[in-house]
Amino acid sequence: MKNNYIPLGLKSFLGALGFVAIAGTCQAADVYLVAKQFNTTMPDGLSVSMWGFAEDADADLSTDGGEMASAPGPMITVAPGDSVLNIHVRNDLAEPMSLVIPGQTAGMSPVMFTDSTGRSRVRSFTHETAPGGIETYSWNAMRPGSYVYQSGTHPAVQVQMGLYGAVTKDFAAGMAYDGVSYDNDAVLLHSEIDPALHEAVVGGTYGTVDYPSTINYEPRYFLINGAPYPDAMPLYDHKPVPGETVLLRFMSAGLQTHIPTLVGPNMDVVAEDGNLYPYAREQYSVLLTAGKTIDAVMASPLQGIYSIYDRSLDLTNAMDSDGGMQTRVTINACNGDIDGDGMVDLQDFGILRSQWGQICTVDNPCSADINGDGSVDLQDFGILRVDFGRLDCLTP
Amino acid sequence: MNRINRKQGILIPLVIMLLMLFAAQAQAIIDGVTGTTFHFTAKEGHISTPDGNSILMWGYANGNNVMQYPGPTLIVDQNDVITITLTNELPLGNAVSILFPGQDVAASGGSQGLLTRESNSPADTVTYTFTASHPGTYVYHSGTQPDLQIEMGLVGAIVVRPAGYTDLNRTAYGSSSTAYDYEYLFLLTDMDPIIHELVEFGQQDEVDNAKRAPVIWMINGRAAPDTLAPAYTPLLPHQPYNCLPRMNPGGKLLMRIVSAGRDLHPFHHHGNNSTVIAKDGRLLSTNGVDPDLATSEFTIQAIPEETVDAIFEWTGEKLGWDMYGTGVGYEHDCVDGNGDDFDDVTHEYCPDHGKPLPVVLPEKQDLGFGGWWGGSPYMGSAEALPPGEGGLNINGGYFFMWHSHTEKELTNFDIFPGGMMTMMVVEPPHIIIP
Repeated sequence: MKNNYIPLGLKSFLGALGFVAIAGTCQAADVYLVAKQFNTTMPDGLSVSMWGFAEDADADLSTDGGEMASAPGPMITVAPGDSVLNIHVRNDLAEPMSLVIPGQTAGMSPVMFTDSTGRSRVRSFTHETAPGGIETYSWNAMRPGSYVYQSGTHPAVQVQMGLYGAVTKDFAAGMAYDGVSYDNDAVLLHSEIDPALHEAVVGGTYGTVDYPSTINYEPRYFLINGAPYPDAMPLYDHKPVPGETVLLRFMSAGLQTHIPTLVGPNMDVVAEDGNLYPYAREQYSVLLTAGKTIDAVMASPLQGIYSIYDRSLDLTNAMDSDGGMQTRVTINACNGDIDGDGMVDLQDFGILRSQWGQICTVDNPCSADINGDGSVDLQDFGILRVDFGRLDCLTP
Repeated sequence: MNRINRKQGILIPLVIMLLMLFAAQAQAIIDGVTGTTFHFTAKEGHISTPDGNSILMWGYANGNNVMQYPGPTLIVDQNDVITITLTNELPLGNAVSILFPGQDVAASGGSQGLLTRESNSPADTVTYTFTASHPGTYVYHSGTQPDLQIEMGLVGAIVVRPAGYTDLNRTAYGSSSTAYDYEYLFLLTDMDPIIHELVEFGQQDEVDNAKRAPVIWMINGRAAPDTLAPAYTPLLPHQPYNCLPRMNPGGKLLMRIVSAGRDLHPFHHHGNNSTVIAKDGRLLSTNGVDPDLATSEFTIQAIPEETVDAIFEWTGEKLGWDMYGTGVGYEHDCVDGNGDDFDDVTHEYCPDHGKPLPVVLPEKQDLGFGGWWGGSPYMGSAEALPPGEGGLNINGGYFFMWHSHTEKELTNFDIFPGGMMTMMVVEPPHIIIP
């Protein structure tokens, strides 16, 4: 079961990035999404108009609960026993959209249009959801693996605008593919933002001389799970524990090639596009081309900080270095290390004290709610006390 | 089976056959530094490019030597504990570091950066230690602001010799199925000189990573035709390594490809397919001994950060004609004592022995010449050429272009030919390599 594990000390940006919705999880084979516009803020302060998905909280698309959209949209986890996935969508955008999952079979009804020279051309890979409309997209034979769901309508624009998300299904409980077991997984969904494209789409100038097409695509922000470094975070199943086997699910919804590279131990690369390799490949980096998914196993890493960075060197936020597509798999041996500095000390106690008695929700997450029961209380203090004085939380 | 195709006479003189007895005593081919303890200094210097430019680089110097690009190729033995210390003589304000992908590194000294420990000044030394536990080909590069510092030149290669390796028993990964006769490094990089100019003019903050547009492409730190110039030529004091692969027919040439730039390069080797036996210093193998998962390729997909080991062979098999020539003056034998279809000394493909070249060569006035055309289609032979033609093929070898198949990368700042390109020469059997 995928929990809403929220990394410590990150409260400040969570709301702005819609992380809450990213972490939202749909276990059922029926998922209710709303496509809508929202804004995201880059580390240098630039606000970018995005299109994204929100999970409809009451599973009733005829009512609007005002949910915040995010890009990537909610992660969808299909249970090993479920062969059917239905995604019900309401389209709050001003143009038609649709949903496809490359690598999963579905009955497709392409939508054509006649262009200015009279040619019949494809606009959507499958049936559309009109602005304001509600439709259902079904996959009746879901295969195990890591996949990206995304818009199947004018994808050069709509996927780039943010209409994408991760969908996974395991072969069996704790087993991603036949013979590939894991204890914890981390989704790393890569994408890019060219702010000029977003401005042109929202401003209605896309397709004009101002921004003719994605042939002029020049991304300036490089994201993992919807945010560039330092805000990029792996999306875990649960808070990593030393010694457990971690499945890294690399995915790309961007238009460019990236090369996620792990600093430290090699990975066993086990699958590509949801297809299990006959033999695992031991590598320190993976070639993540546009639309690709790659699964790799980190075998039993001890506590420590393991960097993952893009060897295509998209490591900048516009003109600023030390940004872009890089993140850390942080494996902390101490539950009481609230600030994540590798030590359980008076600073952690101070955070606990300042949040004492708070009620914690997804909108108001508390870093000091160590046991995740929704309140900062004596139980959390008890956990901190057990670890108090440890200096080796991040030292292998 | 013992098959002898005998025509007339003996072409290969006895002297040459005697010389060939000594061919096995060749030294290691890849240039670099050996040992277990190394000291690097990150510093500035200028390299030359064939378009006449002089470009500011940051590179790893060996000890207190001049900056070199790429950094020193470390040639070490499996299971040795390798220690590399690094001090920083880059312009003030730039930290520097080294990452060793595929190695389990302990770093100490300096200060902790985003990806590893960094040196901040000439007085600040970082030490990296790892055990070279696996044989193979590896890359190293800066882990500090890599988007700028890899572009600026802080890259290099490591060769780890397998346990039991000797110059007379050359293997890439220890097993006889990874044996080879010759080895060459192909460290591939790409460069946008505008970034280097901005750094040189003190406008480092104006480097726009997203607008990078390379116009120089290199092998071992040199763009063609400098790839063919001798190693350590005083003309290129900051670019010590060349790339001039040579082999004899029937030999095995190990290509150690290190993709150290930022872009993918389809490295295309004319002449024959190669067998890709390892990537990232790990044998493509189900049993860890033999490369039973190897693939046969004619273009190596060089992915930044990845290393590829591939064994290239060239025999002339199935050319359909006798590569040592036919007719008067080209009399020779094909003696296949061991039954492998090849002459045991010249490695001629005996089934094609005595078959004439199936085309009539045009008259010289109808031909265009390159420097590598020696006037004869026959291995080891030369014929008269018009004045001023030829001259680069003194042994009568066969030249094959090895290059990036992204064809624009065969230029130096828009001038063809150049870039990520070199020539592989199949030299006649009597030429001893190296």
